[in-house]
Amino acid sequence: MPPGLNALNNKLIAIIDDDRSFRMALDGLLRSFGHATQTFTSAEAFLESGEADKPDCVVSDIQMPGLNGIDLKHRLDELGNTVPVIFVTAQTEKSTLAKARESGARCILRKPLEIDTLLECLKGALNA
Amino acid sequence: MTDATDSDNIEDNTAQAMRLAAPELLDLVHESIILTDADGAILFWNAASEEMYGWPRKSVLGRTVDALFGTQQYPADRQDAWQGEIWRDGADGEKRLIEVRCRSDRAPDGRMRFIETGRDVTSVREAEALLQKSEHRYRNLFQAMAASFWELDFFPVGEMLYRLRKTGAVNDYESYFAANPQFVREMMRATRVIDINEQTVRLFGRGERKELLGSVEPFWPQDSTGVFAASVIAAITGKPNYSAETRLRRIDGKEFDALFTACFPPDTMNKGTLLIGVIDMSEQVAARAAVAEMQNNLAHAARISMLGEFAASIAHEVNQPLAAIHANAAAGLRWLSRNEPNLPEAQVSMERVVEDANRASEIIGRIRTMAAGGTIKPTVLSLNAVIEETALFLRDELRKNEIQLFLDLSEYAPKIVADRVQVQQVFVNLSMNAIQALVGSDTTEPKLELLTRVAGDDSVLVTVRDNGPGFRPDDLPRLFDSFFTTRKEGMGLGLAITRSIVDGLGGTISTENRAEGGAEFRIHLPVFANG
Repeated sequence: MPPGLNALNNKLIAIIDDDRSFRMALDGLLRSFGHATQTFTSAEAFLESGEADKPDCVVSDIQMPGLNGIDLKHRLDELGNTVPVIFVTAQTEKSTLAKARESGARCILRKPLEIDTLLECLKGALNA
Repeated sequence: MTDATDSDNIEDNTAQAMRLAAPELLDLVHESIILTDADGAILFWNAASEEMYGWPRKSVLGRTVDALFGTQQYPADRQDAWQGEIWRDGADGEKRLIEVRCRSDRAPDGRMRFIETGRDVTSVREAEALLQKSEHRYRNLFQAMAASFWELDFFPVGEMLYRLRKTGAVNDYESYFAANPQFVREMMRATRVIDINEQTVRLFGRGERKELLGSVEPFWPQDSTGVFAASVIAAITGKPNYSAETRLRRIDGKEFDALFTACFPPDTMNKGTLLIGVIDMSEQVAARAAVAEMQNNLAHAARISMLGEFAASIAHEVNQPLAAIHANAAAGLRWLSRNEPNLPEAQVSMERVVEDANRASEIIGRIRTMAAGGTIKPTVLSLNAVIEETALFLRDELRKNEIQLFLDLSEYAPKIVADRVQVQQVFVNLSMNAIQALVGSDTTEPKLELLTRVAGDDSVLVTVRDNGPGFRPDDLPRLFDSFFTTRKEGMGLGLAITRSIVDGLGGTISTENRAEGGAEFRIHLPVFANG
């Protein structure tokens, strides 16, 4: 177990992805790290859940029907919600990736995930 | 019995009777009969002569034949008997060709006289000349035609068939020939070559005309035996001719594609001969094959370029389960490597790995089918399922351009028989067309709709429509033309290929602009009979 992992335990992480299998996989992975998780099938579902201010970190897909990940980050900013956002995407289009970076997301991770990079990024986000 | 004296009396009596009866009898004869004295003056002129030349008897008696017809009628040195053909003018001035037989005779009073019989052979000779001319022309054609011609002696085959019929065992030649190819080969060996033209020597031979003048058997490869049998059946069932594309063999053993034609005109059939024409089709067949290959390549190229367009989409589709597998596997490891391994959680993660791996291989399989070149494999397909698969290919493109997809698939939509990839290509092409129209427009809520509906007992209707700008009315008639495009980057092949696929499936495709805006494609496809 990587050093310092215990310090991250019991944090709540929201997972937003319209792809069921990846959402479930990410849920299992983060729980195996010792985190509590909540899953949402869309940005709208997350925003309308009434619990958008609860998680310590949001891990979201960028490309989704309806509000995409970047829209979500902007909406959170408008709402004054400063929860750190990590994007996980299969997107390779440069303009989209640039917009994602400009949106103020903490990390932009590529699918498939590099586990160490995810841990590194989570650690940074949760300790901020 | 009679003695010699009696006999003389009888001859005398007969001669007497003949003399008395002769004019009347001679008038009944169809040939012209003219009796002249030694100087050629006409003594007698029968009714047939009046008919043939147009002069009444009275007007010619006493005139010489030379004077009557205007020229010397017989050679000066003629002997007792002479025959020949002479052109003579009649009373009407018309020329006629007369076949004349002439001999000398001694009259009862001892004077020389001549008797001539004549037959008008003008029309006979003309017909013969015509026949000769047409025979000559036929020979010329036979020789000069660019096609290979054969005149064959079919008579021995007729005898073989006659013997076969007499056994009473065969009443269906077709199945007998099919079951006894050796009998058909035997018929080939019995069919002799009577004549061939120069083109035949060029096409089948090596310069030697003689080596082709045997039986026709060497020119028929085993695989073409059925064609020969079919031509025999055509001949004996009274067909005027028979024609088929087949492989034939040159004398050097090389085979080639040929158009084989046999003619069975009744007159030559009665003689037991028949006429065969052979046209070398090698080049046409090669050209046809090249065209087919080009079409195949074109379809393949179109498919590949379509793949290019959807490469991003496919990468996305494959990446998705791959990412899930990776995360699940990592989670599984993590559950196992905890201080107290959580086996139920690890198991769930592993099960998901298997699930996602299956999903990935399904997608790979689909891509492989789509990329597989050329071969078209029609199977019984659920139209709705194919449309759902198409939607999968389109998902990324739709998402990227924020276009909503509505599938309205009738639960009664029947099955069709078609190649899965081709049908996918039809709906992908039409959908991409709609997507590109929507992207270039300022439609506020861009929508793509795919609908299936039962359209009668034997037809199913698929509608692909969008709420974009629609087509320019001027463009509508040309939409399905190859290389017609309204987009700068388009090849203009998508809709042309789409239509050729729909045609190939026995369906129809039409398009129109919707009253409420946007374009609509309607595809009718025949349904699978047992579907």
